[in-house]
Amino acid sequence: MESTHNAAAPEEQFAVQCRGVTKSYGTGDARVLALRGIDLDVRPGELLMLVGPSGCGKTTLISVITAILSQDSGNCEVLGRDLQAMNKKERTRFRGSSIGFVFQFFNLLPALNALENVSVPLLINGQSRGSAETRAREVLAEVDLGTRLRSLPAQLSGGQQQRVAISRALVHDPKLIVCDEPTSNLDHDTGRSVMTILRGIAKSPGRALIVVTHDPRIFEFADRIAHMDDGKIIDVVDGKNRERTQ
Amino acid sequence: MLRLALKMLMGDRAKYAGLIFGITFTSFLVTFAFSYFCGFMTRGFALIAENPVANVWVMDPAVESPEQTINLPDSALNRVRSIEGVNAAWPLALSTAVARFPNGRFQPFQVICADDATLAGVPALKDGASPAMLRAPDAVIVDPGGTDGKLETPILKSDQWPSGEPHLNAPTRELAVGDELLINDRRVLIRARSDALPRYPPLPLLYTTFPNCARILLPEPHLLTFVLATAAPGVFPSDLAARIHDRTGLKARSSEDFKADTVRWFLINSEDVGDIAAMLSLAMSVGFGVTGVMLYMFTNESLKQYAVLKAMGASSRLLLTMILAQAGLCALLGTGLGLGLCGIVGQLAIDQANYPFRMMWFTPVVGAVMVLLVSLVAAAISARPVLKLEPGVVFAGR
Ligand SMILES: Nc1ncnc2c1ncn2[C@@H]1O[C@H](COP(=O)(O)OP(=O)(O)O)[C@@H](O)[C@H]1O
Ligand SMILES: [Mg+2]
Repeated sequence: MESTHNAAAPEEQFAVQCRGVTKSYGTGDARVLALRGIDLDVRPGELLMLVGPSGCGKTTLISVITAILSQDSGNCEVLGRDLQAMNKKERTRFRGSSIGFVFQFFNLLPALNALENVSVPLLINGQSRGSAETRAREVLAEVDLGTRLRSLPAQLSGGQQQRVAISRALVHDPKLIVCDEPTSNLDHDTGRSVMTILRGIAKSPGRALIVVTHDPRIFEFADRIAHMDDGKIIDVVDGKNRERTQ
Repeated sequence: MLRLALKMLMGDRAKYAGLIFGITFTSFLVTFAFSYFCGFMTRGFALIAENPVANVWVMDPAVESPEQTINLPDSALNRVRSIEGVNAAWPLALSTAVARFPNGRFQPFQVICADDATLAGVPALKDGASPAMLRAPDAVIVDPGGTDGKLETPILKSDQWPSGEPHLNAPTRELAVGDELLINDRRVLIRARSDALPRYPPLPLLYTTFPNCARILLPEPHLLTFVLATAAPGVFPSDLAARIHDRTGLKARSSEDFKADTVRWFLINSEDVGDIAAMLSLAMSVGFGVTGVMLYMFTNESLKQYAVLKAMGASSRLLLTMILAQAGLCALLGTGLGLGLCGIVGQLAIDQANYPFRMMWFTPVVGAVMVLLVSLVAAAISARPVLKLEPGVVFAGR
């Protein structure tokens, strides 16, 4: 199972490799240990689901992995880069160039139409408006929104909005895409169609997806499922046969 | 990205309109207050402006403005005339007198004595009257001098010069050529009405010649307030003024310098300056308030959007630029609207109420600078939460 995914170069055998990562919030009596020593590998080309009860640290973990938060201790290498070694500016640039985000509430900019929303990551990375919009148009066409380029988020259904959001996460061709409960706000069928798209994206060589979810109905889309509780990964199972793999 | 920032701004119509309104209001108030200030300063040196031929004004060394004066010895005129570089010099005297109107009412006037020979200092006259008629004994010109309704005389002959009680409540009309006033128990005859520049502070004016002044006014040791001079061709007024000062010991100022002195004098001595400053600071603080609160509300309600951008790798610099672009657009539009509004309202104020309003070239500049300051500070205040924002808030459950 593992070796079949090793399309990337040896030093990038893992898209994400966390060892003993801890993270706490607050100080003194108010101190909360959100991550208590996380070991996690995510391979290029796989879709890894992160599941666990509310408050177990899922959001904290993906925040660390995406260089939004820095860990207290432990090692975290993402796409071959040591996050701890980067300063604030580098982390911001790293997020902009290498990571795509899909959020539960879509978080599209309401005043911008689909095309502009999808262009944003390219504009942040310094591309011109023309080339950004050309590329955004292509990606939107891939998710069947080629006819809704000028629609504002409010004029789109939830599923369509999430497809715009996926296009936005994809448009700059990041090697890691992180999705935070992408189907929680969608009905069953729409959720499944969104997952089908995400599934397809992960097939692209060298790209890894982490999907945080509560929704057992979508477990079947996972290559592997990592179960978290109380700040730890308690086990990792194969998505298809639901067997332990780690 | 800046284009998108502006779209984000305009996407929120209500707050966009509020922002523009706030800035329009600020720029309007600031420019209006400033134009009002310029307007009454211009009226403050109306006497200087009314004598455009004079390059140099010579006066007692203690005089700082035409508003508070003391007279010169009569010899000053000839001493100035004898100085090389002086092309021509003539006298001008200021005094005050209380005039009694035909119905018994009385009113203080500023009396302006013009040179009998040249009649220099007499303003433009209404109805094509000739200044020469001022040479007739007891002939005067009256002018409202920026006042309203102070030059009224009874309509009915029976209410004029009544014996016994004054007829203060008799119906009146405005003074006209041919009417008489009583000054220091002497009848003076109004021979013309003039279009003199309105004064600040407003005071009715009475123009006549030196011989008439000597007849009308109470005896004064000297009747000479200013010597006005023109410089010979090729002589700079300021150089001539310096020379006159050296030779006579009197204060001599080029007309431009004297105007500036006058403005300075009003700044220091006039209570109205305080009112204007209060109006300006009110305008500024209301503008700061409205603009700041609106921009703050706008960015604050868009915090989640900024967090998304931040998560997606937008640098603090980019976010700051976006906010500044938004504030800049509002500032530009608001300044334009405010200035336009100020121009219209100001013109109305001039036409309808003879309001001291003067929009000078630097007035819009001052308005724009103030608005820029207001917008920049507002932007800086509202940028703070965005820059301190934790991008993690974009995730579910935050
Ligand atoms: N900013 C924060 N300040 C303090 N405590 C926090 C903060 N964010 C999360 N926590 C705490 O850390 C723990 C893990 O939270 P989180 O990562 O959001 O879990 P999950 O996403 O699995 O629900 C929880 O106990 C939560 O209360
Ligand atoms: Mg969470």
